[in-house]
Amino acid sequence: MDNSELQPIFDFMRKLAPFDTLQEQTIKQCCSTLTIVYYSKAQKLVHVDTNQPQLYIVRTGAFEVSTQQGELIDRIGEGQFFGFSGMLSGEKVVNQVHILEDGLVYHLPASMFDQLRGSCYQFDRFFNRAFAKRLRNQSSLDRNAIDTARITNIMSKELTTIAPDATIHDAAMLMSNKRVSSLIVVDQKQLCGILTDRDLRSRVLAKGLGGNLSVASAMTQDPTTIESNSLIFEAMLKMSENNIHHLPVMSHNKPIAIITSTDLIRSQSSQPLLLIGQIQRQPNLESLIQVSQKIPDLLYNLISSDAKASEIGRILTSVTDALTRRLIALKQKQLGPEPMRFCWLSFGSQARQDQMAGSDQDNALILEKETTEQEAKYFKQLSEYVCCALNECGFPFCPGNIMAQNPVWQLTLQQWLQQFSKWIKSPDPTALLHASIFFDMRPIYGEISLFDQLQTSVLKDTKNNDIFIAALSQNALQSTPPLGFFRSFVIERDGREVKGIDLKHKGNALINDIIRIYALSVGIDEVNTSKRIERLVTQSAIDKDIAMNLLDAWEFIAHKRLTNQGRQFNQAQTVSNYILPDSLSSLARHQLKDAFKVIYEAQSTIKLKFLRQF
Amino acid sequence: MFQKWWLNNKLKRLISNNKLNKSTHLQRHYQYLFTQLNKPVSDINFLALDIEMTGLDHKKDEMVSIGIIPIIKGQIQPGYAQYKLLKIQGSVGQSATIHGVHDRDLTTALDTSEVIEWLLQQCQDKVLVAHHALLDIQFIEHALLKLGIPVHQLFAVDTLQLEKQRIYRKKQFIKNGELRLNACRERYYLPIYSAHNALTDALACAELLLAQLNKMGGLEHIKLQDILRKY
Repeated sequence: MDNSELQPIFDFMRKLAPFDTLQEQTIKQCCSTLTIVYYSKAQKLVHVDTNQPQLYIVRTGAFEVSTQQGELIDRIGEGQFFGFSGMLSGEKVVNQVHILEDGLVYHLPASMFDQLRGSCYQFDRFFNRAFAKRLRNQSSLDRNAIDTARITNIMSKELTTIAPDATIHDAAMLMSNKRVSSLIVVDQKQLCGILTDRDLRSRVLAKGLGGNLSVASAMTQDPTTIESNSLIFEAMLKMSENNIHHLPVMSHNKPIAIITSTDLIRSQSSQPLLLIGQIQRQPNLESLIQVSQKIPDLLYNLISSDAKASEIGRILTSVTDALTRRLIALKQKQLGPEPMRFCWLSFGSQARQDQMAGSDQDNALILEKETTEQEAKYFKQLSEYVCCALNECGFPFCPGNIMAQNPVWQLTLQQWLQQFSKWIKSPDPTALLHASIFFDMRPIYGEISLFDQLQTSVLKDTKNNDIFIAALSQNALQSTPPLGFFRSFVIERDGREVKGIDLKHKGNALINDIIRIYALSVGIDEVNTSKRIERLVTQSAIDKDIAMNLLDAWEFIAHKRLTNQGRQFNQAQTVSNYILPDSLSSLARHQLKDAFKVIYEAQSTIKLKFLRQF
Repeated sequence: MFQKWWLNNKLKRLISNNKLNKSTHLQRHYQYLFTQLNKPVSDINFLALDIEMTGLDHKKDEMVSIGIIPIIKGQIQPGYAQYKLLKIQGSVGQSATIHGVHDRDLTTALDTSEVIEWLLQQCQDKVLVAHHALLDIQFIEHALLKLGIPVHQLFAVDTLQLEKQRIYRKKQFIKNGELRLNACRERYYLPIYSAHNALTDALACAELLLAQLNKMGGLEHIKLQDILRKY
């Protein structure tokens, strides 16, 4: 090569799509027309001269293209382009380019750009596609509103209520005036029941009763409700599970709206629900195994539709829940009804509703009382069947054997209470290891009251229990986010082998740990990390900034982990929690670093708050 | 203020110095510096320069290659980059392992006098920039002396000095190796190039300068007299 050519520029351009499709000589010619500019964050915007269009090739740094109204069109990092829209469309482009991270940008003059497009078909097609993609982004700003929309978007804005001592006649008048199919019955602002068309039919007219009857005697007392921040999909699930068509929507224990099956149908049917519906219909294990093979596809679809990671977790967990319930029901059909009340518990990720690809099963049984030999045999058969079946459906056995089929974890309520109180009183290493799994628990099937008693008692023991909380904090601080990783990344970026970052154990799990400590210390009965954060904030038990930062960090890391898994799935690789740094753009690297920094700061806060250490 | 007055005076005296009239290029170079001292660096033309040598002693070692790349109004111009090999008396010897120029490559090499003439011509309307400029300037001055132009006053912007000031302003001491070209570039998240090709290093130095000037407050807000030094 000619000595007056700049090797680093040539090397970069030669590997950069679509320049990599060009002849070596053309690339050299290209390099000689470039100019190099350094953009600094302090300038905020790239000054794009619309009279002198050129292609901006990002060598380092990060940029954001947005419309004049400030709507984000594209994020651009190393090896990506901007400024081509105007040259392709021939129109003056008024988009703004924000500088997110300082960096070097190569300018390629329009004359060269046009010459390349004219002489190379692939080159031309590349930019036309990029242009089309950008236009799509510009016009589909609400693309997230598919499966994952919240019920707040579709619920009726107006709440029609009636008092319990009103007459049925009044109620019927009100319903036809307001053209609604249901009324919420409210006593002193508290929800006490729901009255629907069907109630009027079956409990009043069919029985030949008159309009003077009180609403209280015809309504459904303590109806199933849903929280206002739930997903549409969760509302659908609740209705189909309970065979009802109306759900009062609750916020802070007060009814704020009602959501009906019509609202849901209008918001379109969704894929996860279809899968759950299929699960509920399958007659045997073989067909369930077959249906559950669709779960990875569901996950992949959710990832590609760019749903929020926390919502994907909730959807996947709902599928696991449905599968578990269906398996229990199938086995019970064969074994007969249970000999005593019991509750099937889930722990860990299933309990927290943040299951992702490859999550193993963590479950157990709460029994009402001591079993006879006969009864023990029943639960052995039931639990072995369900655990093995889950394994075959893609939820591998728990390596730590925390499973319902393990007799150690088939305990009576009394034994569970003793077990937890032992862990809390003497938090030795095993106990603390168990804490991260067992203290996140949720009932899946059976007698909920058994679970409620257990949880209430556990939270009473942990609340304000300084010694236990301190031990838990000490344990949580054993593992720190990989901040130093980025330093080594800088050194290792010249091509030596680099290890991946474990986004699960060095990221999301650390946030789960931190939030669990806060939640247990004030006795919050939620187990989902984002719901715990919400409750902690409303109770002012956590600094709001820290909480919101942690929530964002959790979502960002989980999202990176999911998209990484999506990519692995797509390329038929083993799905793992590791991400390779060279697969990250410079922008993502900085964001990830910020997310880890948030975790690190939250850990320091815990140290201060619960360990009184500086 | 003092710096401005001092540079101003120095340049004035140099421009009227008859001994230097031998080189019109050099005269023009001083004229350019003199008129631009008060201008913002966004308006200045720079010439980033790197010289590879057989060793570090300008009295006994020789220049092997020179790479230059201009920066015009804040934009680096790779299309105008140039690279020259120089004829040497001895052999590149062991230094070939560093800069990769071997004796066999020197067949296209030019005489030192030719190259110096070319260099002066290139920088008559530009300001020299180099990383650790002292070393490069020493070699250039030594070569000029041999041509009968006794110059002991060349001016340049030194990216190493700029970096040193920046670090001193932030903390007390500088660790070993912290001022090397690639080490400086890493602090600005600039890509790492393989070092010790005169042209690549000139590019690396040019990019570093732009990054530094941006960090110092932006090219529009810094005047040439704030960063120019006499050697």
